[in-house]
Amino acid sequence: MDIFFQIRNDCSELTTIHAVLAKLKKRWNLTRRIISEMNLILDELVSNIIEHGNCDREIEITIRLIKKDNSITIILTDTGPPFDPTITPIPDISLPLEERTCGGLGIHLVRKFSNSCSYKRTGKKNILTLKKLLPEENR
Amino acid sequence: METEISRMDNATIFDLKGRLDSRTAPQFEKQVQDFLHSPDCHLVLNFNELDYISSAGLRIILNTAKAYKSSPYCFVTCCMQDHVQEVFEISGFDSFITIYQNLDDSLEQLRASS
Repeated sequence: MDIFFQIRNDCSELTTIHAVLAKLKKRWNLTRRIISEMNLILDELVSNIIEHGNCDREIEITIRLIKKDNSITIILTDTGPPFDPTITPIPDISLPLEERTCGGLGIHLVRKFSNSCSYKRTGKKNILTLKKLLPEENR
Repeated sequence: METEISRMDNATIFDLKGRLDSRTAPQFEKQVQDFLHSPDCHLVLNFNELDYISSAGLRIILNTAKAYKSSPYCFVTCCMQDHVQEVFEISGFDSFITIYQNLDDSLEQLRASS
């Protein structure tokens, strides 16, 4: 089972992601928790693309989701500037409030909610592949 | 996201409803900003009807906690749904932000602390 959709580098598209996942919940028989975690992964990654890309230039973002046996694979492709989220520094979440900043927190959440993540740059495209293992009730 | 702001005893209460992500964060940040310059009472964020939070929302929560840390008043949160609380915990925010089970508990504690 797989689906494929395309969005622009605009914050309003976060609503599109949410709507697609809401439909998928029923179709693929997933729990609210899994949908919520997938939403967070896509939200953080797409928000990064929007933030790091040049706002004046339209960036094509495509999302492919594949459900197979006990896992979901997310393939996110964009035509923005090169950006490898797999090598960004890990934020120190044990720091006291005064020293905490929000840098890297989005990517930290993506790593926590996915089981593997790989990046490659092909031509003018960033291609990020993530895998999320499904707990039994979602299989 | 919808926000309802009310005042009870010595605290301002924000009831948050919907989704706090990078699309809705700017509006929420604007609303909360007025309370951060020079806090004159406690602040409670009631997450009861907040279905979703991303790092864009966490950034505002962090700034709020920092602003209140240097004031004589408290900033607390309550009624988090499980997956929202999990995002707080994974981010380590639960180490410096108080999370109450319900609104009454948070108001009671704030009454006791002032």
